[in-house]
Amino acid sequence: MALIEIKDLHASVADKPILKGINLTIKPGEVHAIMGPNGSGKSTLSNVLAGNEAYVKTAGQVLFDGKDIDDLAAHERACAGMFLAFQYPVEIAGISNMYFLKAAVNAVRKYQGKDQLDAMEFLDLIEEKKKVVQIRDDLLARAVNSGFSGGEKKRNEIFQMAMLEPKLGILDETDSGLDIDALRVVADGVNALRSPDRGFLVITHYQRLLDYIVPDFVHVLVDGQIVKSGGKELALSLEDEGYASWVEEKGA
Amino acid sequence: MDLKDLREKAAADFKANGFPTTKDEQWRFTDVSRVANTEFSTEWTAASVDFEPLSKIVLVFENGKLSRKKSSFDELPKGVCIGSILDLVDPRIGTLADSQSAFVSSNTACFSDGAFIEVPEGVQMDTPIHLVYLADAEGVALHLRNFISAGKGSAVTVIEEYIGQENATYWTNAVTEVFVADEGSVDHYKVQCESASSFHFQTLETHLGTNAIFSNHTVTLGSVLGRNDIRGKLAGEGGEAICNGLYLLKDKQHFDTHIFMDHAVPKCNSHELYKGILDDKAWAVFCGRILVQKDAQETDAIQSNANLLLSRGAKVNTLPQLEIYADDVKCTHGATIGELNETALYYLQTRGIDPIKGHAMLTFAFANEVLDEVKCKTAKTYIEGLVHDWLENASI
Repeated sequence: MALIEIKDLHASVADKPILKGINLTIKPGEVHAIMGPNGSGKSTLSNVLAGNEAYVKTAGQVLFDGKDIDDLAAHERACAGMFLAFQYPVEIAGISNMYFLKAAVNAVRKYQGKDQLDAMEFLDLIEEKKKVVQIRDDLLARAVNSGFSGGEKKRNEIFQMAMLEPKLGILDETDSGLDIDALRVVADGVNALRSPDRGFLVITHYQRLLDYIVPDFVHVLVDGQIVKSGGKELALSLEDEGYASWVEEKGA
Repeated sequence: MDLKDLREKAAADFKANGFPTTKDEQWRFTDVSRVANTEFSTEWTAASVDFEPLSKIVLVFENGKLSRKKSSFDELPKGVCIGSILDLVDPRIGTLADSQSAFVSSNTACFSDGAFIEVPEGVQMDTPIHLVYLADAEGVALHLRNFISAGKGSAVTVIEEYIGQENATYWTNAVTEVFVADEGSVDHYKVQCESASSFHFQTLETHLGTNAIFSNHTVTLGSVLGRNDIRGKLAGEGGEAICNGLYLLKDKQHFDTHIFMDHAVPKCNSHELYKGILDDKAWAVFCGRILVQKDAQETDAIQSNANLLLSRGAKVNTLPQLEIYADDVKCTHGATIGELNETALYYLQTRGIDPIKGHAMLTFAFANEVLDEVKCKTAKTYIEGLVHDWLENASI
């Protein structure tokens, strides 16, 4: 069964149509990349999928794990196994990263009918996940993303993803603002989380990230529609030719 | 001036000036006519209000009078003097508190009891002193007077806690004078959980010597109408005053915080962080005045006031006031009134946290910042518990 099936998805932001009929199916174990120029609707797609109420689905259907997600709020989608790594992770003063992670892990476990982790079990889980995504202890003790560098914020996103063990990880321009070392660390984390029952949707403007997270499929998004799909070599040709020919062809 | 003369003079001052009205600049937003127009009795009764002692050293006042039975202050470090202000005398009593204030002068004229704390030179007390003021008498005025003196190089922690019986109508009028000598340190907390129908007014006056440290955390939850006047005088170089506070108000509560920090000499720091969470039709007033006198070069003064409104009917007046007469100073102030950050709420949601829990987490986080500088663990745990309980019942 497909992990997520997006059928003819249309969406608007502030009454302005952005997505104009997206079709995309991701199976467990697959990594799909979506590439596109600025304003093509990349972030809208990730936010519509994650359940951001500022983004309104106007037509089409999204099946996650075979179920329509229309009636699920953002937190229910997260609990059902969807994870959005933010382009700009939010700083939250006054809540420690540890407390935040524990609240999140236990919220997801509760929804899935699992027992709550106590303090010791939670610390064990932290130690286990630190082997997958290295994160400094002081970042865990500090307030969520507060005063973190760009790289630390993105690493924190991937660490959260490791902790929450989603079925589908959506990476919204995770590479933006990262230097090559930080990019590699983040990519290593994602690669460590790849598994036969987990899918990824990697949204990016640049081909660079895909050198490190090698996708199974690449889709080109222009003006709210996927105009071409192919294998990883498509990303390389985009790198050479740019988006210009696609944009012209669509008459945008 | 002995106490008798002091009281007579204060009574005359009060008679001459009377209560302030909203025509007074300092009382523009706080109408005290409900206090001024009520005849309060001073008849004493015992109080039956529960409390939790936060220390081995605890002084309990029942409806304005020290209860020796409920108190415990026998085992004290050598030289430390603690007891009723009626039994212990210090010529400095009444010299600090602003005699022009109607609340101070009526207190001086009428105070029925209060705590006297004197820590001699060099004595660093590890055990906090818990002062508990219980109130359940209907229609009484409780004039409480506290005196705290920390000698040179000494250190003491004092937790003032006001607890009222639900729905009792009374008027607490407290004055606390604090002297911190050179290199001394006073860590002061005030927790106000008065009855929801009471009136609560307190003036806290502090005098700091050279390199002295005064740290104050004020948590306000109770009273229908009230005000804290927090006044500090940095009178010796290298002094540091930290005045942080949190007010959590609901229903038709009105609470006013007036801070006056007087930088009289060079090289002193003062930090003020005040936060408020307001629900229903609550109304908060914050006025923070920092005076940097001509000679007070190299002053470092930071003030901020942030308010979170949980309801459309809640209201805040915030007035930062800087008066700077020196030229080499670092002074900042800021005030905000707002609602919870929707982006942060969405972020929590995408991590599986439902909006109700997310609101509670963000609201607690907003309040919690005020407690960052709390040094006394006992006080921190206790105050966090109070904040949690309040938020449980708020409309979030």
